[in-house]
Amino acid sequence: MKRILFAILVASFLAAGSAKAADVTLTLHYAHPNLWAKVQELVADAFMKKNPDIKLEIQAPAENYAAGVQRLLREAVAKKLPDVAFLGLNRWRILQARGLAVELGPFIGDAAKFEAQGYTPALRSLGQYQGKQYAIAASASTLVIYVNPELVAKAGGSVDNFPTDFDGLISLATKISALGDNIDGVWVSAHDWRFQSMLGSYGGRPMNEDESNITFDSEAGINAARLYSRLGKEAGMKTYGGKAARQAFAAGTLGIYIDSSSYLTRVVAGAGDRFKVTLLPLVVAAKDKSTVYFPTGGSAIVMLTRDPKKQAAAWRYIQFATGPEGAKTVVENTGYAPTNELVLKDKSYLGEFYARNENSRRAHAQVAAYSGPWYAYPGAEGVAVTDLIGAALVDVIEGADPEDRIKKLAAEVRTKLKMK
Amino acid sequence: MTYRLPPAVGEALTNAWLVGPATVGMLVLIFGPVLAVAVLSFTDYQLGAQGFAWIGLENYTVLFTDPIGQRAVVNTLIYVAIVMPASMILALLVALGVHRVASWNATLAGVLRTAYFMPVAGTLVAMATVWQMLMHPNVGLFNQVLGLTGVPGQEWLSDRGIVLYSLAVIGIWETVGYNMVLFLAGLTAIPEHLYDAAEIDGVRPGWDRFWTVTWPLLGPTTLFVLVVTAARAFRVFETVATLTQGGPGFASDTLVYAMYREGFVYFKAGYASAVTMVFFVFVLTLTLVQFGVLERRVHYR
Repeated sequence: MKRILFAILVASFLAAGSAKAADVTLTLHYAHPNLWAKVQELVADAFMKKNPDIKLEIQAPAENYAAGVQRLLREAVAKKLPDVAFLGLNRWRILQARGLAVELGPFIGDAAKFEAQGYTPALRSLGQYQGKQYAIAASASTLVIYVNPELVAKAGGSVDNFPTDFDGLISLATKISALGDNIDGVWVSAHDWRFQSMLGSYGGRPMNEDESNITFDSEAGINAARLYSRLGKEAGMKTYGGKAARQAFAAGTLGIYIDSSSYLTRVVAGAGDRFKVTLLPLVVAAKDKSTVYFPTGGSAIVMLTRDPKKQAAAWRYIQFATGPEGAKTVVENTGYAPTNELVLKDKSYLGEFYARNENSRRAHAQVAAYSGPWYAYPGAEGVAVTDLIGAALVDVIEGADPEDRIKKLAAEVRTKLKMK
Repeated sequence: MTYRLPPAVGEALTNAWLVGPATVGMLVLIFGPVLAVAVLSFTDYQLGAQGFAWIGLENYTVLFTDPIGQRAVVNTLIYVAIVMPASMILALLVALGVHRVASWNATLAGVLRTAYFMPVAGTLVAMATVWQMLMHPNVGLFNQVLGLTGVPGQEWLSDRGIVLYSLAVIGIWETVGYNMVLFLAGLTAIPEHLYDAAEIDGVRPGWDRFWTVTWPLLGPTTLFVLVVTAARAFRVFETVATLTQGGPGFASDTLVYAMYREGFVYFKAGYASAVTMVFFVFVLTLTLVQFGVLERRVHYR
C-alpha cells in the first residue's frame, strides 16, 4: 500500500515536472472550424506529445478565412497578434504587405536540405514573394471537374470517355442542357480564381514576373474569356452563385460542376445515394504542357511572433504541421491535397487512403503535377479588382464580346492598380 | 455646521449627476466613433496598416463618380423606394384586417398576428437561406410552380435585371410584420367614441370612416413607422450578404454592403468610412425631413 502511494506521489511529481518543462507557450490562430477544428486538435496534440517543452494554445477559430484575416489585422492594431496563424493561401500576402509576417529564410537555412524534406520548389512557391519565403503551404486544392455520371450517360456520353478538351466539354454540356428545362449542363463561377485556372490551362499568367503589369489580355487570356463566352452562349451556363450550384448538382439537375477540389467531401455528401460523384482533372488546353499551371487554393502557415525564443518554437511547429505527419492528418480529415512530397512518395503514409478514394487520388495528382501560385494583385486595390474581374466574366457569359471585354478589363485593372 | 450649497448650484449638480453618465456614454460610444469615422474618411487608411495619408475628398469623389459606387447609391435608393411604401401600405391593410378580425375572433387574430410577426422574430440570415432555396433556379419552389403553369422560370437571384427586386420582395416580407404590429397598436389606441361620434355626424362606414377618423388619428403612428421603415430599408445588408454578395456583377450592391465589402473584404477602411458617412447623412436627412415636413401635418391628441 505504501509503495503504491509512493508511486503515485512520484508520478504526480514527474507530471508536474513535465508540465513545468513546457517553457514556451505558442498561441495559434486558424479559421474555418467546420473544416479544420479536428485537424488542428489532432496535429497540436501530436506535436505537444513529441515536444513537451512547447505548449500550443489554439485560439477560438474565425468563421472563415476572410474573417480570420480581418481579426488578425485588428489584433495587429491592438498589438495582440497570435504567434502562428493559418491563413488562406491567397491571403498571407495581406500580412506580408503590412510587415506582419516573419520572413522564414533564416529558419530554412540550406534550401537543398529543406527541399529534401518534401518541400518541393513548386510547393515552396506558394508561400514566396519576390524570392523570399513568408509562408509554408499547409493544404492545397486546384480547380477540378465534378461529374454526374447519370446525366452524362443520358446525354450520350460516359465518364470513362469524358472529353479531354474544352470543345468536347462544351458540346457534352450543351447536350445535357437539352435534357430538360430545369437541367443545366455546366457551371463554373465567374470568379478570379476560376478565371486564373482557365488562364493557366491555356498557358497564360495574370501578371508578369515582377507584378508590374497585367498580362491576362494575352492570347491565353482571350481564349479563357472565349471559353466563358461559349459556356454561356452554347451550353447555356447561368450565373448563379456557388451555393446554388452545389444545391443543383446535389439535386441531380447540374451535369458538370467545375470548382475547387476542396469541396470534394461536401459534394459527395450532398449527392448522397442519388448518384456517384466522379471527380476528373481539369482540361489542359495549352499545346505546350510545360506552360500550364493551376493556381492553388488552400491554406498556409505564417509566423507572426517577434520573440526569438518563440520563433524557434514556432518554426518547429510549422515544420511538424507541414511535414509528412501533419500532411497525412490534413488529407485524411479534409478534401485537401497534401503539401509535402514525402507523404505522396512514401506509400506507407497514404497508400491505403488513396486505394479507397479514387477521386482524391485524381485531385491530388493534379495538384502535384500543376500546382502554382494563386496570384494576388498588389496594392491597396488588390482585392477590389478581383470583383471587377468577376463582373467582367458575368458580362462575357451574358453575351459581351470576350476579346473586347477582357481588354477593357485589363485596362480598368491597370488603372486601379496604378500600373504604368 | 455644514456648508450648504446655494439651491441653484445644488440643482445643477443633481442634474449633472443624473444626466451626466448617459451624456458621457453617448459622447464616448456614439459621437466619438462617428467623429473618428469622419476623420478616417479623409484618409487612405487600410485596415491593419502602419500608417496613412491625408487624401482630402478623394474618397467621396470616387464614391460618386466610380460606376460601382454610383451603383450602390442608386440600388439603395431604388430598394428604399420600393420597400418603404409597399411595406407600409401592406402593413396598414393587414393591420386593418387583423383589427377587424379581432373584433369577432380574438384567437384567429392572435394567430394571424403571430404569423405576420414571424419574419421579424426569426433570424434574417436563416430566413434568407430559406428564400435562397425557394428562389433556386432549378430546384426552387417558385420555378417549380411556374413550370407547372407553363410560365418559364426566372433566375430570381442571378439575373441582373431581377435580383434587386427579388431582394426588395424579401425586404417587404421582412418589414410588413413589424409595421403591422405598430399600426395595430395605433388602431387599438383610437377611442371607440370617435367612431360613434362620426357615425352620428353622418360618416358612412368603410372608406369614408377610414379617411375621416382612422387615418388622421393614425398620424403619429404612421410618422413613426415611416421613419423606422426608411431607416431599416436603407440598412439592407443581411439578405445581400447571404444571398448575392452584391452580385452578379454588382447588380445588387447596396450602401451598407459596399461599406462592409470595402472595409472588411477589400480592407479599404478610409473609403469604407466615406461610404459610412454618406449613409449616415442619407438617413439623418431623411429622418429630419420626415420629422420637419410631417410633424406639422400630424395630429397629436
